[in-house]
Amino acid sequence: MFTKVAMADENDNERMDGDNQKLEKMFTLKKWNAVAMWSWDVECDTCAICRVQVMDACLRCQAESKKDSYGKQDCVVVWGECNHSFHYCCMSLWVKQNNRCPLCQQEWSIQRMGK
Amino acid sequence: MSLKPRQVDFNATWGAIRDTIRGVITLDHVPRTTWNDRFSDVYSLCVAHPEPLADKLYAETKKYLIDHVAQLLRKVQEDGDQNLVKNYFHYWSQYSVGSEYLHSLYLYLNQQHIKVQKMSDAEIIYGIVDPSCTSQGDQMEIGELALQVWQSNMIYPLGQRLVTLLLEAIDLDRAGQPPTIPLDAVRGTILSFVEVQVYKKKSQLQLYVELFEGRFLNASGEHFKRDAALLLQERDVSLYMERVKAKIEEELYRARKFLHASSLQKVAHRCEQHMVAEHLQFLYSECQNMVKYEKKKDLSNMYDLLKSVPNALIVLVDTVFDHIKNQGLSAIHNLQGDSVHINFVENLLTVYEKYKELIKEVFKSDQNFMGALDKACNSVINHRPNEGRSPCRSPELLAKYCDTLLKKSSKGISESEVDEKLTKSIIIFKYIDDKDVFQKFYSRSLAKRLIHQQTQSMDAEEAMINRLKQACGYEFTSKLHRMFTDMSVSSDLNNKFQEFTKQEDIDLGINFGIYVLQAGAWPLGQAVVTPFALPQQLEKSVQMFETFYHNRFNGRKLTWLHHLCQAELKLGYLRKTYVVTVQTFQMAILLLFEKSDSLSCKEIRETLQLNSEQFKRHAISLVESKLLLSDTEELDENETNLRLNLDYSNKRTKFRITAAIQKETPHEVEQTINSVEEDRKMYLQAAIVRIMKSRKVLKHNLLIQEVYAQSKVSFVPSIQLIKKCIESLIDKQYIERTPYSSEEYSYVA
Repeated sequence: MFTKVAMADENDNERMDGDNQKLEKMFTLKKWNAVAMWSWDVECDTCAICRVQVMDACLRCQAESKKDSYGKQDCVVVWGECNHSFHYCCMSLWVKQNNRCPLCQQEWSIQRMGK
Repeated sequence: MSLKPRQVDFNATWGAIRDTIRGVITLDHVPRTTWNDRFSDVYSLCVAHPEPLADKLYAETKKYLIDHVAQLLRKVQEDGDQNLVKNYFHYWSQYSVGSEYLHSLYLYLNQQHIKVQKMSDAEIIYGIVDPSCTSQGDQMEIGELALQVWQSNMIYPLGQRLVTLLLEAIDLDRAGQPPTIPLDAVRGTILSFVEVQVYKKKSQLQLYVELFEGRFLNASGEHFKRDAALLLQERDVSLYMERVKAKIEEELYRARKFLHASSLQKVAHRCEQHMVAEHLQFLYSECQNMVKYEKKKDLSNMYDLLKSVPNALIVLVDTVFDHIKNQGLSAIHNLQGDSVHINFVENLLTVYEKYKELIKEVFKSDQNFMGALDKACNSVINHRPNEGRSPCRSPELLAKYCDTLLKKSSKGISESEVDEKLTKSIIIFKYIDDKDVFQKFYSRSLAKRLIHQQTQSMDAEEAMINRLKQACGYEFTSKLHRMFTDMSVSSDLNNKFQEFTKQEDIDLGINFGIYVLQAGAWPLGQAVVTPFALPQQLEKSVQMFETFYHNRFNGRKLTWLHHLCQAELKLGYLRKTYVVTVQTFQMAILLLFEKSDSLSCKEIRETLQLNSEQFKRHAISLVESKLLLSDTEELDENETNLRLNLDYSNKRTKFRITAAIQKETPHEVEQTINSVEEDRKMYLQAAIVRIMKSRKVLKHNLLIQEVYAQSKVSFVPSIQLIKKCIESLIDKQYIERTPYSSEEYSYVA
């Protein structure tokens, strides 16, 4: 295990208040830099149509590797009333042939779209 | 004088002309008036009435010249071989100038009588008719006639004897002995073979080549052979090359002195043939040593000599390749210690630059050698130790090198130095076969720099990504760009969130900041989320932010990556007040000590629900920093009790405790390499779909070729893997085998 005590970047200007405030708490949480990750709120993280993770663009979108797709707004996720989810691109191709959810065979209707 | 045609007495006029010609052709004194009279005599004969006498004049002149040259031939031979060349040159100098004057004297005849009969230049040059056969019976201009007469009546009978004497003179010159024939006579005589054909439209050098040059080159060739044999006796390659180079220079100088310019290349070529090409094995015998000890002078000589012999450089090029490869391999062999990555990159760059410089200096940046350098670097950088059984570490080490440069560090290297080093690292990068592996490692370290705010300068980061983009294209860096985008999106979110809390009048009790990362774009791994009971002080922040986030975005969920979060904690229980930066887990452990000065590890773990690996890691870091005291030597997660160190003191009032967050563990390295394999499959599948979509139908071999070509920018795929990907796309019904042939696929729309 590797541990080190490194010097902080700036000097502190509060070094003297320990003496003045006897009632100060032992630990004060001053600042918290949190890190969180967002992902689509899906039951299954793979798109059943193209078998690519829904967080990644679908295979067709990756193949086209659009130069301007910095974010992935163009390959979002869509949820059906059945709560199954797919790439929007994959599903819109699918419904042209068969307007049912590929997983549960219910009539497909969109519940919500990712944003 | 009238210009009108009149009757002319040919014999009288010709008699006068003949007397003058004698003077002209021997460069005797001819008074201006006589010249003028003869000039008009030529005119009057040409336009004589009733019958023009031009043809007769021409015939008489020709006869006169033949007689004159016959007379000169006798004179030239008078003194025997000893003075033959000297006399020839003497009379030639006279005759050639005289014939030019004569040409002017016959201006009218040349222009009015003869030119009209002749074909235009264009007709001769473009070869409608063969000029040699048609002009034979034709009349020539007087100047040409005179030279023609000289050629037939002087050079033909005397030529071979002259050449023998000339060759002897040249041999004498080679031997460094005093000339027996004046040098200008030698040169003049040789060049007379060219000058005598000056009127010819085509192949003016024919006589020179046939009569003289051929024999000269053969004789020189024999000489070179003898010389080479003599030099070879010394058995010293280095000396031999010096001598041969000097010899070639000397022969070129001699050729310039005596010969027509067209012969220079031929002489040099003969010399190279007999002294270099015929002794290649001898030269190669020292090749190995010269390269090994990098004898620049010798190598440069070797290059100069070999480059003009077809295919002779190959051996030298191969030897240089082997040498650079060995040097490269030994430069990175057995590197050890903490700075392996720095040594690796910088040693390689030293080798690269050294040999690039050497090739520039010694081999004049010859393409063959630059190619050898590339090939050598490529095989060194992609070398797999243990006969190919161990993986190549170059991508990992190079990425680490970049990380060291881009990370905030106490080492004082200037920004421009960092920039220069990063630019150079691209040299190594370009040789790496598995660029995708590099990208993995690079993106991991970039992620760490960004999340832990360890980036020295965003400009430098961006510049580096642009360099990679330039080398490998957009796709290669798109994930890196997405990480950058997340950083700026997050700073925007933080501002919006602060506005939100102000508006809603919410006090979080702490200074809260957040990075929201897009899953998939960051190389953080999936299984890193460990159970953790959030300290109560943070709950409000987490709740508020989740509410805020879900209102703004649809269908997204947030996962808190506590192992990446950091907190600043003020310690109020010591003699001085300290502010310490810790990771969330460390913070949670410390906060428990608010209620009690001593806690057992078991209690802590149960309260926080940390897994044992995480707990141990962070507890040990707190013990090592002396903020906590342990009652056992080795920290045991069940037995040990931890106490708050109430006597803690530190010179600094603000410091950071880092528990190995920036260090790559071997586990992580392995994970990184494994994830590459998955990415490659995805990449290849995308490439296959792309190709098939545009081609619709394609033969198996062509598809493999195209996929191979496309993926070469980022890695070298195995054919096996491509085949696997084709199979899996057939399963997924992206493509299918055509009914006619199993070796052909078609795209399924």
